[in-house]
Amino acid sequence: MEEMIRVKGLQKKFGKFKALHDVTFTVNAGEVVGFIGPNGAGKSTTIRTLLGIIDRDGGEAKIFGKDVWKDSLEIHKRISYVPGDVALWGGLTGGEIIDLFIKLHGGGDREKRDYLIKRFELDPKKKSKSYSKGNRQKVGLIAALSVDSDLYIFDEPTSGLDPLMEAVFQDEVEKIKQAGKAILLSSHILSEVERLADKVVIIRQGKVVETGTLDELRHLTRSTVTLVTEGSVAGMASVNGVHDFKQIGNQAIFSADNKYINDILSEAVKLDVKKFEAVPPTLEDLFMRHYEV
Amino acid sequence: MKEKFARWSTLFLQYLKRDWKKIIIWILGLGLFSGGFVPAFEEIGKGQGLLGMYETMQNPAMISMIGPTPVDTAADYTLGAMYANEMLLFCGLFAMIIAALHVVGHTRREEEHGLTELVRSFRVGRQANSFAVAVEAVLINIVLALSISGIMVSFGADTISAEGSFLFGASVGMAGILGAVVALVMSQIMPTSSAATGSTLGIVGLLYIVRAGTDVSNVDLSMINPMGWTYLTYPFTENNWAPLGFAVVFCCVAVMIAFALEGGRDMGAGYLPEREGRGTAKKSLLSVPGLFIRINRGVMLSWLIAFAILGAAYGSIYGDMQTFLGSNEMMSQMFTLSGVSMEESFTGTIMMVMMGLVSILPIVIVNKLSAEEARGHLSQLYSTKMTRTQLYWTTVILAAVTGVVGTLLAAGGLGGTAISAMGDSSVMDMGDFIAAGYNFLPSVLFFTGLAALALGLAPRLGKVTYVYLGYSFVLNYFGGILDLPEWFSKTAVQSWIPRMPVDEFDGAAFAIMTVISIALMILGYLGYLKRDMMEGA
Ligand SMILES: Nc1ncnc2c1ncn2[C@@H]1O[C@H](COP(=O)(O)OP(=O)(O)O)[C@@H](O)[C@H]1O
Ligand SMILES: [Mg+2]
Repeated sequence: MEEMIRVKGLQKKFGKFKALHDVTFTVNAGEVVGFIGPNGAGKSTTIRTLLGIIDRDGGEAKIFGKDVWKDSLEIHKRISYVPGDVALWGGLTGGEIIDLFIKLHGGGDREKRDYLIKRFELDPKKKSKSYSKGNRQKVGLIAALSVDSDLYIFDEPTSGLDPLMEAVFQDEVEKIKQAGKAILLSSHILSEVERLADKVVIIRQGKVVETGTLDELRHLTRSTVTLVTEGSVAGMASVNGVHDFKQIGNQAIFSADNKYINDILSEAVKLDVKKFEAVPPTLEDLFMRHYEV
Repeated sequence: MKEKFARWSTLFLQYLKRDWKKIIIWILGLGLFSGGFVPAFEEIGKGQGLLGMYETMQNPAMISMIGPTPVDTAADYTLGAMYANEMLLFCGLFAMIIAALHVVGHTRREEEHGLTELVRSFRVGRQANSFAVAVEAVLINIVLALSISGIMVSFGADTISAEGSFLFGASVGMAGILGAVVALVMSQIMPTSSAATGSTLGIVGLLYIVRAGTDVSNVDLSMINPMGWTYLTYPFTENNWAPLGFAVVFCCVAVMIAFALEGGRDMGAGYLPEREGRGTAKKSLLSVPGLFIRINRGVMLSWLIAFAILGAAYGSIYGDMQTFLGSNEMMSQMFTLSGVSMEESFTGTIMMVMMGLVSILPIVIVNKLSAEEARGHLSQLYSTKMTRTQLYWTTVILAAVTGVVGTLLAAGGLGGTAISAMGDSSVMDMGDFIAAGYNFLPSVLFFTGLAALALGLAPRLGKVTYVYLGYSFVLNYFGGILDLPEWFSKTAVQSWIPRMPVDEFDGAAFAIMTVISIALMILGYLGYLKRDMMEGA
């Protein structure tokens, strides 16, 4: 498969502060990759390096097989980007700014632009200084989605959008995904990428700590089990793979390592199970685990 | 009726508590500016100073700028008369503008930010906010008026009488109240807070320009201009309190109109509909130069107009130059050069001063690019075909062009009015003025280059260019009277350039400085290609 983005051992310092220690991941053609991490983890810094806005101090960073710093011009012809905080010229209207971006990018589609303006319910005739954060974000998104690119990079794209507009955004991204484009989607909210991402890259304190499909990552984590038994449930506490054990009468709630799930089940059966519920980890749980590490 | 204003006093106290720092700066700053120049004017008035000033102030161009004096003979032109003549109109103008900005800020702008909605949900009356803001503005201006009077009296100068001082202070304070009231009315009519600010300042500007005309042609007509009621009180000479009475009546009527209008409108809306902007961009915007011309347009126009007016203002005093310079020892020392006419000598110096000011605009434009960068306006554009090369050279070339145009306007404005003021006795023609201006072009380019160097290598130091400009300016301005050592004077870049028309044009210096300036720009460019954009910090 063609590699759209290839980042290996990326490092970046701001003065003495090392914002990126070791960032490594790839985005393949036709893939949607969620780039997840808490605030300050280094998502935006990584993305700015990819766009040639800042230069790296170490490691390798390539888009379309070209160096992101030296060949940035070649690369920019085929990518679209929306920053996390879209800042606009207050004296220009949303429509003017969208047109400007499309023109400077090249390859814009007038019909697509008008369609997206309708879809996102933006008033393009208002001066942008009167726009809310969400409306500014819409201007950036409409501009980036109106042009034809092979790779789309969105840095926390939905911050400030209301849930309805967030759904519109997800729809539109789904469409470019269907068209076989690659997408890098950063977020500190995991549920935001859940629907779209084929793969997740988790970054924490400037280091990529986990990479894989959602299923693979879920495998590494624990499910929450609620168990009610006839016999005394207390014994379950000492079974391998049981954590955070809590008991109320004959009901126990604990988290279970997915790889020990068989052992746990066979122990439970001995106690005459009345009720057994296992909830798979949400992305939030998964994320919390990386926080704790 | 009463419930409409319910709890205004709570809001009022709240505002005082919130604004007290701003209020102190406002009163102290404007108070000292208005009243604190008495010693400086005493200095100017020494010897033949008052006489010279009187002659200068009779010039119609001067009257149109600072207003008339009721004094008919130079002998009656006392210190107080001069102070009121030269200071009152401008102090009132400042008071008006500050009060207007304050009022729009506390009424319409807060509505737009949703603060008023919050406040209204707490059982305060519909019009309590406007009322509280109006009371606050009136109170501030009364305190301001008293402070100004106090400051002026405290100098104990001969002709600065107590009554005159109180009238002077009251006139400035009344100007502030007028500004507040106009702003209150416009806040009701206009669709947005920026439109309210714009229209208020527009009205103030219009009144100023109209009075410039009537002051010169027929002062009685200025009396029907609300702005006239502030400076035609003639403190220290006629001490005429009547205009302030007109102003009070006017304010009461205007406030009633404002409240009636507010009672009839929805929150966050005005009586005029919001003007729709363009849904699509004009072709002229759709390029890097198009964008930068557009975002710098306001600043460029206002500075360029200012240069032309400044040139014209200096040009207008050529007619009375002999009396003016003869009366002021400090000035005449600066201009005393053997073997040249006063006018030529003055041109050399004033051109240096004006070209220092013209240098500000290119620095503003170059620094604009780093401001845009730091604000994140360009973030999304970096990922397009737009290059750093385009960004940098568009900015630097635009800056240099404004320097060239600014020079033309300043020198042309000076020459045009100077030649007409001197009439038949003119010793210079337009070509002399233009040449004297462009003679300084390398210094303008040098400051542009310095700003460009900062942009490329250390964008956070962009402001340092202003500091160096200020330093050079002061050194050149006072260098002539302070008798500084040669090497020290030479640290100011303009001192490498001979002052035309007194001195001969120096082609080598001109060329070398231009080359150095271009080299600075290229160095900045190399830095700009290499450095990180300021984002995320
Ligand atoms: N230009 C900069 N100068 C100094 N520190 C920076 C700069 N940009 C980012 N940082 C720091 O680097 C870290 C990572 O920031 P960022 O990449 O913006 O995180 P994220 O986008 O994941 O929230 C933060 O600690 C931030 O303060
Ligand atoms: Mg970020």
